Amino acid sequence: MTDNTNPEFAVDESTDDPTTDDMVTGTDVSESVTSSGATMQRDTVVSAENVSVWYNDDRALRDITLDIPEKQVTAMIGPSGCGKSTFLRCINRMNDMIDAARVEGDLYLRTKNVYDDDVDPVALRRRVGMVFQTPNPFPKSIYDNVAYGLKIQNKNGDYDRIVEESLKRAALWDEVSDQLDQSGLELSGGQQQRLCIARAIAPDPEVILMDEPASALDPVATSQIEDLITELAEEYTVVIVTHNMQQAARISNKTAVFLTGGELVEFDDTEKIFENPESQRVEDYITGKFG
Amino acid sequence: MATESREREGFGHVSRTVGVVFRYLLLAATLFGIVALTVLLIYVANDAIQPLTADPGWHLTFFVTLVVPTVAVGGYLLRTDPASFKFGGGVVGALAVSTMFAGGAAMIFVDIVQPVTWFGYVLALAVALAGVVAMERFDRQLPFLVRSVVAGAVAVLSLWLVPGLVRSLPVYPTDGLLLTASLGTPVALLVGRYAAAAAGKRGTALAVLGGVALVGVGSYAGPLIGVDPVPATVLLSVAVLPTGGYAVGTVRRHTERRPGLAFAGVILGGAVVGAVAVDALGFTGPQSWVDWGFLTSAHSGTAADAGLYPAIGGSILLMVTVAALSFPLGVGAAVYLEEYAPDNRFTRFIGINISNLAGVPSVVYGLLGLGVFVTYLGQPTGTVLIGGATLALLILPIVIISAREALRSVPDEMRQASYGIGATRWQTIKNVVLPRAFPGILTGTILALGRAIGETAPLIMIGAPNVLFSLPTEFSSKVSAMPLQVYAWASLFASDPFYRAAVPAGVVVLLVVLLSMNSIAIVLRNKYQNDQ
Repeated sequence: MTDNTNPEFAVDESTDDPTTDDMVTGTDVSESVTSSGATMQRDTVVSAENVSVWYNDDRALRDITLDIPEKQVTAMIGPSGCGKSTFLRCINRMNDMIDAARVEGDLYLRTKNVYDDDVDPVALRRRVGMVFQTPNPFPKSIYDNVAYGLKIQNKNGDYDRIVEESLKRAALWDEVSDQLDQSGLELSGGQQQRLCIARAIAPDPEVILMDEPASALDPVATSQIEDLITELAEEYTVVIVTHNMQQAARISNKTAVFLTGGELVEFDDTEKIFENPESQRVEDYITGKFG
Repeated sequence: MATESREREGFGHVSRTVGVVFRYLLLAATLFGIVALTVLLIYVANDAIQPLTADPGWHLTFFVTLVVPTVAVGGYLLRTDPASFKFGGGVVGALAVSTMFAGGAAMIFVDIVQPVTWFGYVLALAVALAGVVAMERFDRQLPFLVRSVVAGAVAVLSLWLVPGLVRSLPVYPTDGLLLTASLGTPVALLVGRYAAAAAGKRGTALAVLGGVALVGVGSYAGPLIGVDPVPATVLLSVAVLPTGGYAVGTVRRHTERRPGLAFAGVILGGAVVGAVAVDALGFTGPQSWVDWGFLTSAHSGTAADAGLYPAIGGSILLMVTVAALSFPLGVGAAVYLEEYAPDNRFTRFIGINISNLAGVPSVVYGLLGLGVFVTYLGQPTGTVLIGGATLALLILPIVIISAREALRSVPDEMRQASYGIGATRWQTIKNVVLPRAFPGILTGTILALGRAIGETAPLIMIGAPNVLFSLPTEFSSKVSAMPLQVYAWASLFASDPFYRAAVPAGVVVLLVVLLSMNSIAIVLRNKYQNDQ
């Protein structure tokens, strides 16, 4: 938090340059800071302090403050338009793409405020993977889809091995191992989404953001994705947005409930939220009286 | 009570009279355009080819050997096996179109670019490419800037030195062998991979070697049947090799489409058998104005001797110039406007202006070309460069608009996915947006070139000569073009035979070239849609 000259996000535009080894140094620095017992909790990866977002004059998020723990699944639930996806996109600064969006407040990844002036959003996104609502593989081969992140980030290493491992972790290897040169678009919807997950984890990010990853899939594919998310949480910090409350109850360790107007109403362990919420509004929402 | 009376009445009727009238009015409007165009084309084609001047026996022979078998086999295949029918038709179509392009390419190698020069430049490019590949292979760790500087230096040095070195050699191989190496080999490399169809490295190498051998043998076998080595080599490399590779590769991938090959064989065989039979039986064909002489001779005062050769060559050179100028400029502008430019009043103003420029009459562009290139820059009038630059300006707005359309059709999810994984804008455009939009961009550019090839007014304005007796050999030599030549015949040499025969023949050649260009655009577009 104090080390503003930390070069961990500093990457210039000519990122075809493979000499930048920022991934390694970045991780090292932040780990040393964390373990030396800075002010933050030992196991907090993403920490928001009074984050607000405006789209032009409309306020989409109001003073969100929460800490996302490491190697756990944190779910964001709430009715449509409550700002949960907007919050997710603050974490890897995808909101920068929208001209009208304006973010206020502090959002820390480990110890670094990602909205500091010296932070390069491109370098940030290399440490935070993202999976989208609709499966969006590139019109390239399965292999090239998974290797895409490695190539653009100029990672060294054995691509064949990393691709195989990522596909295995995404529970897709057995289905595609003999057709790696086929187009990713020829897979089924559920397979495509698992391919997108493999693509997101191949460059080994610290956090994986998932924006309603199963909402476009059938029940079988959905349960496969849910199993996969639970497994991924053993190695990665997963933040998932969903409007399916049962899904949040099944797979997440912590749940944040957003309600209309961009308010974070309650954030606690998932069991507590679903069995004994403090707020009446949350209880109404979860029992289906509202939303 | 109420339900009872309703049941007795039934459901009644809703009037559709207006709808039916509207539907048939639309049908009539559609048919009007198609029928009018068909009548016009038949009229022109009849004047140009004059099919009725042939012996009845000539028609009868071809009817028996070509039309009847084609209709019988084709009709049978169409009902039982449409995929094979399409494949067979595709082979014949590809052969026809590629033969036409081979004709154009042969013209260039016979009259404009010496095979030695071409060989030198191809060799230079190959050397540069080998250098870049070697650098990539030995050290992936070099920074981007160093890599691009070294690659650029290698390319420039090689292009600067190698052609001169090749030309200063005391002895060259024959033209046929030079073209086999510099034209047949690259084509064989491209085609062989498709033809071998997953047969492994050995199979691919064999296919490529086979292709090169075919072209090389052809360069010696051509003169035996009266074709010069250069046209024979070009014809084999540009027409026969790609068509054969397409046929072999497709059959290897989809064995069930083999009957399509038989269909293609029936059509081509029927044509050959018909030609031999007609010759043997002594029937004379139609007194067509579109014949070998028309295609290979220059203008003449008498209509019967007049030909289109310099105009065809001029049109080819103009198209090469126009494509080289308008493609990078247009695609560059489109990428900037779609991917980089912010959406503000200024960029919207530019967008509207480009749309308006696409509708400006071509004669205005001719005036622009005259004013800018000739008067202001002091260039000589009517050269390949000036004509190409003026036509490139003419189609630039169309290229920009169609390229923007292609870029806009790339789903935003693709860009999001790329940004989400930490790609820069440049990486996203290079790896995701452009590859996906490329077929659409190419289709739009080809259709725009189709507009440029038919333009007369801008060429008149920049002072292109009405009559030219030889092909332009450099960018700074005077150029004629097909539409300009046709216009000259119709205005300056307006006599009956020119009106009745030479002009329609020129129009038919122009239309055939135009349609074969557009057919490539259509094939590309279909392939693009299937891939999605």
